[in-house]
This record gives sequence, structure tokens and C-alpha cells, in this order.
Amino acid sequence: MALSGIQIYKMLPQTNCKECGFPTCRAFAMKLAAKQVELGTCPYVSEASKKQLAESAAPPIRLVTLKAGTEVKAGNEVCLFRHEKTFYNKTGIFIRVNASDPELAKKVAAADAYKVNYVGMDFTVDGFALVGDADMAAAVKTVRGATKRPLILIGDTNALQAGLSACGGETPMLYAADASNADALADLAKGKASLAVKADSLDALADLTQKIQAKGVEDMALDLGAKNMSEWLTRSTQVRRLALKNFRALGYPVIAFPCDAKDEAVAAAQAISKYAGFIVLSEFKPELLYPLLVLRENIYTDPQKPIQVTPGIYEINQPKPESPVLVTTNFSITYFAVANEVEGSGQPAWLVVTDAEGMSVLTAWAAGKFDAERIAKAIKGFDVASKVSKKRVILPGHVAVLSGELEAELPDWEIRVGPREAVDLPAFMKQALN
Amino acid sequence: MPIEIPKDKWPGSVRAITIGATSADGGTRAKSITVGGQTALPYMHFEAPMPNKPVVAVEIKSRKPEDWSTLLMNAWGDAMTSPAAWAKKAEEVGADLIVLALTLADSPSEAVAAVKSVLAASGLPLIVWGPGQAEKDNELLVAVSEATKGERIVLGICEDKNYRTIVATAMANGHLVQARTPMDVNLSKQLNILISDMGMPKERILMDPTTGALGYGIEYGYSVMERLRLASLQGDAMTQFPMLVTPGLEAWKTKEAKVGEGVPEAWGDWNARSINWEILTAMALVESGADIVVLRHPESVKRVKDAIGELVMA
Amino acid sequence: MDHSVTFTGENINATVTVPTNTLLADAALQAGIDIGQPCGGQGRCGRCAVQVTEGEVRRRSTLRLSPSDVEAGYALACQTVVESDAHIYVPPQEKIERRLTTDRVVAEVTVPADYDYDSVQTVKRLSLQLAPPSMDDQTDDWARLQTAFRLQHGMERVRCSVGLLRKMSDVLRAGDWQTTAIVETNRLSDNPTSRLIDLLPGRGDDYAPIWGVAIDIGTTTVSLWLVDLVTGKVRAQAAEYNGQIARGEDVISRIIYASKNGGGDEMRQRVLDTINNLLETACKRVKLDEGRVTPDQIVKATIAGNSTMTHLLLGIPAASIRLSPFVTAVNHPPLVTGREIGLNVHPEAVVDCLPGVASYVGADITAGALSSGLDDAEDVTLFIDIGTNGETVLGNRDWMVTCACSAGPAFEGAGVMNGMRATQGAIEEIWINTDTLEPTWRVIGGGKPKGICGSGLISLLSEAFITGVVDKGGNVKLEAPSPRVRKGAHGGEYVVAWGQETESGEDIVLTRVDIDNLLRAKAAIYAGFTVLADQVGVPLEGVSKLLVGGSFGKYINVEKAVQIGLLPDLEWSRFEFLGNTSVKGAYLALLEPRARERITAIAKRMTYIELSADNSFYEAFTSALFLPHTDLHKFPSVVEALRK
Repeated sequence: MALSGIQIYKMLPQTNCKECGFPTCRAFAMKLAAKQVELGTCPYVSEASKKQLAESAAPPIRLVTLKAGTEVKAGNEVCLFRHEKTFYNKTGIFIRVNASDPELAKKVAAADAYKVNYVGMDFTVDGFALVGDADMAAAVKTVRGATKRPLILIGDTNALQAGLSACGGETPMLYAADASNADALADLAKGKASLAVKADSLDALADLTQKIQAKGVEDMALDLGAKNMSEWLTRSTQVRRLALKNFRALGYPVIAFPCDAKDEAVAAAQAISKYAGFIVLSEFKPELLYPLLVLRENIYTDPQKPIQVTPGIYEINQPKPESPVLVTTNFSITYFAVANEVEGSGQPAWLVVTDAEGMSVLTAWAAGKFDAERIAKAIKGFDVASKVSKKRVILPGHVAVLSGELEAELPDWEIRVGPREAVDLPAFMKQALN
Repeated sequence: MPIEIPKDKWPGSVRAITIGATSADGGTRAKSITVGGQTALPYMHFEAPMPNKPVVAVEIKSRKPEDWSTLLMNAWGDAMTSPAAWAKKAEEVGADLIVLALTLADSPSEAVAAVKSVLAASGLPLIVWGPGQAEKDNELLVAVSEATKGERIVLGICEDKNYRTIVATAMANGHLVQARTPMDVNLSKQLNILISDMGMPKERILMDPTTGALGYGIEYGYSVMERLRLASLQGDAMTQFPMLVTPGLEAWKTKEAKVGEGVPEAWGDWNARSINWEILTAMALVESGADIVVLRHPESVKRVKDAIGELVMA
Repeated sequence: MDHSVTFTGENINATVTVPTNTLLADAALQAGIDIGQPCGGQGRCGRCAVQVTEGEVRRRSTLRLSPSDVEAGYALACQTVVESDAHIYVPPQEKIERRLTTDRVVAEVTVPADYDYDSVQTVKRLSLQLAPPSMDDQTDDWARLQTAFRLQHGMERVRCSVGLLRKMSDVLRAGDWQTTAIVETNRLSDNPTSRLIDLLPGRGDDYAPIWGVAIDIGTTTVSLWLVDLVTGKVRAQAAEYNGQIARGEDVISRIIYASKNGGGDEMRQRVLDTINNLLETACKRVKLDEGRVTPDQIVKATIAGNSTMTHLLLGIPAASIRLSPFVTAVNHPPLVTGREIGLNVHPEAVVDCLPGVASYVGADITAGALSSGLDDAEDVTLFIDIGTNGETVLGNRDWMVTCACSAGPAFEGAGVMNGMRATQGAIEEIWINTDTLEPTWRVIGGGKPKGICGSGLISLLSEAFITGVVDKGGNVKLEAPSPRVRKGAHGGEYVVAWGQETESGEDIVLTRVDIDNLLRAKAAIYAGFTVLADQVGVPLEGVSKLLVGGSFGKYINVEKAVQIGLLPDLEWSRFEFLGNTSVKGAYLALLEPRARERITAIAKRMTYIELSADNSFYEAFTSALFLPHTDLHKFPSVVEALRK
């Protein structure tokens, strides 16, 4: 958590020596808290304070990276609820494939090639979970012929050893160490792979991770061994809470297997919402993959950014070609104010929501994010002209000043200035537009 | 090594709220539904038992909708021709509650008739929504409220610019209200305060913090619900109401659910994707504290109910 | 048991007999004395205070009376019953208002106790006697004058403009080589240089005024004080809306307008026109025995404006102020002359634009920090400027942090349907009778009301809220039983004054849009200082003094400002109302170089905190967008008032 000026002050020498260029240590602390000066500017700050200030930013959950041609990171999280700060490293989504599957190469290639666009971003699967036995080494080679994405290898110690030796120069995850094979797998994974750890209780899990860590393996992931959604949620929550309290033995990302659940979709949704670092899906199914990728994107969106709606053209009360075109920004509260007023009036309209980086009309205008150029770009970009018979656009009254410039940008459109407040829109539409 | 599991002890709790009145309570419902009453975060059974599980409501309309996806039209089939038949079918597929949405085309007497037919066809507790236009809402809901006095139905939707008439008629006729605010903790609290200030008993308020669909702002609804639930447990009286959300309505507005043609191949099979869209929207909200989720597709109803069933296992 | 109660006061002398436990207000009524009860006898407004000089009474409520008031026998007639024979003094209304603890009257302007023209003023009038030239002494006029400066006043280096050289010869000869110079000297430098501002023939009156002006350029209101630099006294004040308002209510619209073709020149001209008109007005207000003061006699000006206002006045492009990363062109502008910037003061007058901190914290705030004394405070102090840009400073002599938020001009009476500045004809305070919902108001200067000023709007919103005309969300309750509550073009509204009662003949109303504007303004200001205090880690309860500045008439009612959630719910004694702190700071800098130096130091020491860095300001803003606040427990006194 970020420290306040008063908290930082307590860690400073409090001598008011002025060498930092500020008249007092308190004034310096305020600048530090506001990130307007570096701690190093103070020549006398103690090592202990330096460490403490650095630690106030250190995450309590280990960052685990699976590497091949691409990377998947999990961990480094700092909060239980996304609104407290944000969730950082998106849950890695892995597709389970079987070493003995005669269509292994084809299936991997199909999933590997998958790409879906969501509001301008391209999403793909993150990697593959390869289940194998004696055929593991060969299967790794087959998979490597079809994808460069990281792997989770699933099998017994021999299979994992064979598989790992086929993974030259990459860092896969081995699944999974339990009480019976922890020593062997720790030796195997050390320096070469991350190790998934599995137990039936958190007590046993913590014992295992400590044992494995003592053998020199730092990167681990926890399989919570839960038998249903309720138990999994409880354990995942407890692991996150304990880790945030700096309980190191459970300070690792969690790996979940919705592929084994009764309803894969709901189990995967839960895992993504509730702290899983990696999930494994049973097969490549775009109709499930796409919604899960979107859910993951949504949950991992930084909540400190202003609440936004997706820019676009919104239909209100089934507009017809002659219905009016209203323009506003993509700040959610602004959007709702406008949409609700119009919707409530029963009058049909097209609502063009521009990308104003989540600012309200006035703020966006002030910051240069809602000007004639941007509005014109939205009108053209969303191809509004093809939907309407009357090229007439209604500007929010607060930016009446833009009407002239907008006329220049959209020469074949009629520019009208609407009311300043959304509450006056229904009356305006009734009186001024008919 | 036994780990000491940290347990949260909260000073506050969510109010338990009962919808629908049986004959013993002066209504005609076969059973009533109670939601809320939690003293811990959702499904944290190791901290406190969950007195009432989340429930699934099915949204039906007083007239056959013209703008619903064909997938929904096919799923409900002939049942959509009358609200009574629709309600009956909804009960068959597992609904715990019925939401009857009135339309702008309804006159007050038609609205009352639709509500009465649903009450006669199904013994489930009922939520009635106005068409969403202030004057029309007030006109229809006052008529419905008076004609169903004592049934403990939920009248929706109260918003900050239009709540006084609906609250007044709900108070006079023993009903509940649904208080909707646009995805903001403060706005939720404010409307709850305004409604309480009118003298509405706090046992008769449901809050609807609004959600976006998956891909369309669900994360805001998700976090607002988490924050409201945290606030209620921390003892903030004006957030201690059960939460109702409408993932069905929101999900089926999206292109991903509604449209089957002319969309990217990467979206996958239309039918499965649409239902996944509704289920994922609903499940994220169930995880974040929803007490009532209003759904549209029969298969979503079944799968969300099954998932809730698994989550409430202690 | 019956008691005999005697009332006395100006034109009052009556005795009545009443049963025990009769309200003083009822007893007065029986005696034919009308003690005004604007709030309807609720004990809210305190306007019915009387003084019990003899006898026993029981006070049900002493709200708005201080312990010393009670000690002195004061009691609220509507809340106090008689328990014995008694003598009651009914004081005149003005006297009551001065006593009420919640009304913070702005302190009168006093000249700083240690102001000494001779030793500190940088602008001086000097008499010089020059030796006339002759065939033996053909030294040029200017060298002759410089010699006189050196010999008679010890001034080594005096500079002079070409303009002055042009008239110098005539002036020297017209006064027969006796002359009076107005000179500016940088007194703080080790090696002082001087500049000649004016030269007059003959020997001037040593005690005649030297004119200076302190100017506050607000986004909404421009205020100036005309000062005699010799005595230090403020001789006239004037204020008017900033003429730039025609091109936008907020700084952003002004910047954008100024960035377009020719907009910058127009903005500069508009504010110059405003200032120049005010200079004329202020000069006319000075009553001098000998002759009239004209603006061109003003030889020194200090100007405190927010950063945008300063840029626009100087004709410096301000576009970078509004765009990330929000930097100004200049925070510490150089000294200029009246001629250079087009001010209708003396062309050679020294014009000092005071320094600011950042794009959104300008010289108005550094000047405010100075005049409020925050920069020298022992304990942690909060200074809130209730203006268009809602700046806040928190700190003490050790440290200072500051922030700004866009509050809008509502509290300056702009952007509100019947809003106006705090001048003649403005309703400055309103009470609403709880039972009848009828208002009573007080108008500045008496007479028919023209509109409502900032303090009037605060009191109106507070009264409307407490009496239930509006709900906590600011919605007018249309079902309220009064013809004054009606449906207007923008939703519900409340009629403050019917057309027949007003100056214009039109109704004065509070509309839904007005309420929204006021709510936004108060929410922005409240959110600003709460988030600032939170980020610094100082709880508001830990702030020892809250200094409130703003362009309100002569006072602000703290209780009402708390009731609408503009100010935090702390003891009234912690608040101090300072009036226009910006112009006061400019005034201090006009007089004393040390004060001027302190402003520079303040500008360097302040840490500016950007509120838009995360969601916390927005969260605090929406939770404050309610009456008094979404978290009622932050306003216990308001909950109490509502309960009553």
C-alpha cells in the first residue's frame, strides 16, 4: 500500500537539515508521498527506512513465469478485492491435450492459431497442458512442432522427466508434486521448471511447499485439491488471505482444473474471478474460450481507471433511420445519464459514444479528449451515416462551442446543440427535433 | 503443520427479506422466498453459515417481445404467447421467482390482468417491472400495486429521479420495491436513504446496483457489488439490503448473445456461446454477492441453479 | 401560578401577566411585541434572541448561543419559558446577528501594525532641489537629477524611461528646479537599484497619498482594493464579474477560447476592461478633500490571479495548462509596467504579478496562504477557498500541501438562475418557516431583492433541506403543501420571492438545475479537502483551525454551510471566515517587501497534489453529492437538526 506523507515522515531523520532542498523533513515527506521527488535526495535516510519504503511496494505472492516462445506470468498480486488496487497478472488459460491422441498435432495447431478480437485487443490461448506417460518426450516434440506457447506437463515422475528433457531451454510447469514424489520432482524441477504442488488440505500443502522450497525450488503453483466449487472457493480465498498476510508457504499462484468440473464454464468463471493464476480447460472450444477470455479481461481491468462504456453506436428504443443521433462520451455515468433519460422518455434515438478515455463531457472537453475531430472520427468510424436517413447530430449543450468546428469536420451533417443536462433531453427531443 | 486460518468477524449483516405472501400471511403464493441474512462474505461457510441461498428469477413479459433473440424465442416457444403460460413454463424449468416486465403498450387494466393471470398460473413469488418510462411506470405500477394488495410482490424499478410514487404505493399495499442505481456504491446508498426517508420499512427494499454484461462493463457491477456487500458487513445500514441483478437482460442485449450470423468465427457456436455469455455474466455476479439473478434462457436457469447448489454446500 | 413579564427595548415597554411555563415568544405576542421568528419557532435561526435581565427562565434549547451569551442572559424567545416574574430586554436585530456564534463575519481590513512607509515601502515620493544650470555648469538635466538623487537621497543607481526623459526638462524648469520624484527601489537587494516612475514640478505634499492597488483576478469575480501607500489604508474597494465570463464560466473554456484565432487578445482585453472599469469605480469612491483620484495616479499594483488568469492577463499562451502534463508557461512572472500590459494605471507604474505553484494552484492561493497566516501557523490548519476552482491548502509553518478541484461559480452567484454577486439587492440570508414553508430573507442594503448571492444560496439550500422542501438527493418534493413548491421547466422548484416582491417583478426561484449546480460545487470542495487530508494522513478532526475564504459578502453562516455538507461538521469555534484572502494577500504584498518574499517562499514550499491521479476524488465527490453527505455519520449535528 502507498504510504501517506505523515507515515513517510516517521521514517525520515527528522533533522530538518535542508540538504534535500526542502525546508523541513515534513515538506520533503509530502513531496515523496506525491512522488515529486526521489528518496535518494535525502542523504541521511537510514537503510532500514529505505528497506521499509521499498517493502511497502513488494508483492506477497511469488511471480511465477512459464517460458517458451511466449511467456505466461502469474502471481505478484497485492489484494483480495480488485477495487482495492487491481489484479495484475491475468489468469493463464491452458488447453489440455493428450500425448496419446493421434490428432495431437492438429488439435494443438488449431488452438494455437486461435485469435479473437475484443475491443481492439487480440486474445489467444496461453499454453497447453500435456498429459502423457511413456510417450511424453515424443509428444513434447510433436507439440513443439505446432506451438511455441508454454507447457504444463502432467504425468508421473518418469513421464515428467522425459518430457522436461525434451523441453530444451524453456521453463514449463511440472504437475504435480504430492507427498509421495515431492523430493524427486523438486530435484527434477530445480532450476528448470516451475512445480505444481497438490495436497488435500492447506496444512499439507504448506508443508509440501516448505519442503520443496528447502530443496531449492522457488517457483511453485498450488493445486487446492478441492472436491467442489464451494470448497475450492473457500481454499482459494484462504490462500489469498494468508498470502497477503505474508504467510510465505502459501504465497504462490493457484492452478485450477475446470476441465474436471461438473460444469466447466461455471468452474472456469469462478477460477478466473477468484484468484486462479492458471486454469486448464478440457478442450479447445471457441464458444467457451471467447467468453472466458473476455471475463478475464474484464476482471483484470484496472478499476482505478474511470468507469467506461465501450465506444460505439448504441440503439435506444429501437431507433429508425429518421431517429436523431445523439453524441456523448464513454464515461459510464455520463452514458447512463443520457441513455436512461432517453430510454425513459420512450423516444427512439441513436447514441454515439465516443472514446473520451472515460471522462465526462466537460472533463473530456477540458482535457482535449472530446473535440470536433474526435466526434467526427466516431461518427465516421461507426458508420453512422449508413444507419440514418437524416444526417443530423445533437451535441451536448456543454460543448456548444464545438458546433462550428464540427460543421467543418462533417460538412454534410446538420449540427444541432442540445441541452446541457441529460434531464432536459426528452423535452428537447420532443420540441426541438420534431 | 496446522495453519491458523484467519476468520473475518463482521459487525454487520444483510437484512433477510421475504418476497411473496402465502395464504397464512394474507397472500396467495404457494411459498415465499427469503433472501439475504448473511453475516459473512458469499459462501465463506467456514466463517458463518449462509442462512439463505441466492435464487434465480426468470424474466417474462406481458406481451410477446419482438426484439428478443430467436434463440430465446425457440427455447420458450408457445409459452411466450401468454404471460400465464410463460410463467408456468418458467416454474417448470426451475425458476424460484418470476419477473413480469410490463410494456409501454399495456394499459393499467391490461397490466393488472397480466399480473393476475401470472399469479393464478404460478404459485411463485412475483416481481413486476414497469416499462421503464417514469410516467408510465407510475401509472401501471400503482394500478398493479392496488390490485395485488398483500401479495408482497416487488415493484420495480425505483430510480433516483422517480421513486416517490412507487415507494408510496408499495408502502400502502404491503409490497416491496427494487431500488436501481447505475453501478455506483454511493448512488446505491443514496437511493436507499431516500426510500427509507419516506418511511419504507427496511425489510421491504431490494437494491439493484445494475450490472453490465460480460464484455460490457461487468467488472464495474462486480466490484460495486463486492463493495456494497463489504459495506453491509462492516455495519453500514444503508447497504444492508439483498442485491438483485439482471444478467439475463444485459447478456441478451449483447451482440455476442443475440446474433448468430455475420459474426467472427472465433466466437464459436452461437447457441452454446449465448448461453455461456448469460451464465458467465450471472456467475461472476453470484460470486460477488448477488442474492437474486434474473435470467432469460431455460438452460442458463438450470446451470446457474446447479452451480449455486454446489456453492452453498458447506 | 402567574408571572409578570416586562419587555423593554427600542420603543418597547410593556408588561403582561402570563402563566408559568409560557414561552417568551408567546408572552411577547400577548404584549403586542413582534419578535421575528423566521424559522417558525424551531430554535434554528436564533433571530429571536432576547436578554433576560431579571427573573428565572428555562431554556429548552440554546442552539446558536455561546456559553457567554447564556451567561449574559441571552435566550431564544421561541425556546425559553418563564418560571418567575421577569424583565426581558429585546435587542435590535443587528445586535443579535453580531452575537450569533455561527455567523462568521469577515474581519475588517486593518493596516498591518508594523507597517512603516518610510522604512519598507518600495515606492517612494522624494523631493529634490537641483542647482539650476548655468554657463559654468552645462551638465545635462538627467545627470543633474542623478546627482541630486545621489547627494540628497544616497541613491547611486537610478534608471529612467525614454517617456520620462521626454518630459523631464519641462518639469524641472516648471518647478524652478524644485521637483518631486516617484521612485521604485528594490529594497531587499544588497545593491539596490531604483527606477523613476514619475517626475512632478515643485515640492509635493509629503503626506499626500501615493496610490497603489491590490487586484484579485478570480475566474468569476475580479476584486480590487485602492490603497494609500503612505498610510497603508485601503481607501476604496470594488468588485465585478470578470468580463471573460462571456467566453466561458470556467478556466478551461477560457483557455480553449484563448487558444483559437485572436481569442487570446480578446480574453486579455476583456479582463483589462473589467480591471480598468473597476479602477475608475474605485477612484470615484475615494472621498478626497483636494481633487479627484484618477487611475493614472496609481503607481504600484500587485496582482493575484490563478495561473490561467495571470497568463491571460499577460497575453501568455495558456494552452499547456489544461493538457497533460499540465505545466504553466511561467509560475513566477517578472515585474512589468502598467504600459506593458495595458493597465490604465500610471504607464510607468510597477506591476507585480504574484507567483503561483502549479497550473491549478496560482497566486490567488499563495496570496491566500499568506493572508490567512497558514504559512506561519503552529498547528495544522486547513484553508479552503470557496471559489470557482475550490483550492485547498493544508499545513502549517513546517509543510503545506495543496489541491484544486473544479467547483464552478455557483457560490459566487453565477451559473444559478437568480444568482448574483454579494452586492446591493442580493438576498444574503434566508429562513424558511417549518410549518408554512414561507421564507423570510435579508437583503444586502435593504429594499427589494434582485437575486441571491453565495451566502444566500447556502442558507437557502440548507433551509430547503432542513424544512423538507427538498429531499437528501436535492429533489424538490412536489407534494409539499405550499404554493411556493411547483413544477418548473427543469423539474421541481421553490419560489423564494414572488414577482410583486422583487426588484425586477419576476419571481426569484431555486430551480432543480440550480440545486444540482450547488450540490456539485459543494461536493467538489468537500471532496477536495477530505481527499487531500486523507492522502496526507491527517484526519479532519486533527485540524486545529479551518480558515474559509471566498467572495461572500461580509459573512458566511457556518452552521448552514455544514448542513449542506460544504464544510465539515466540526465545532463552529474552529472556523474563521476571512473573506477574500487573495486580494488581502495582494494588499499585504503591496505594502511590505517581507510579505512579498513570503509569498515567493510559499510558492516554493507548497506541494501540489493532483486529485485526478486515481478514483478517490471521484468517489469522495459522488458521496458528497447528497445532503449533507451519503455517510450521514460524518454529520452528526445535521442528523440531530433533522431529527428535530
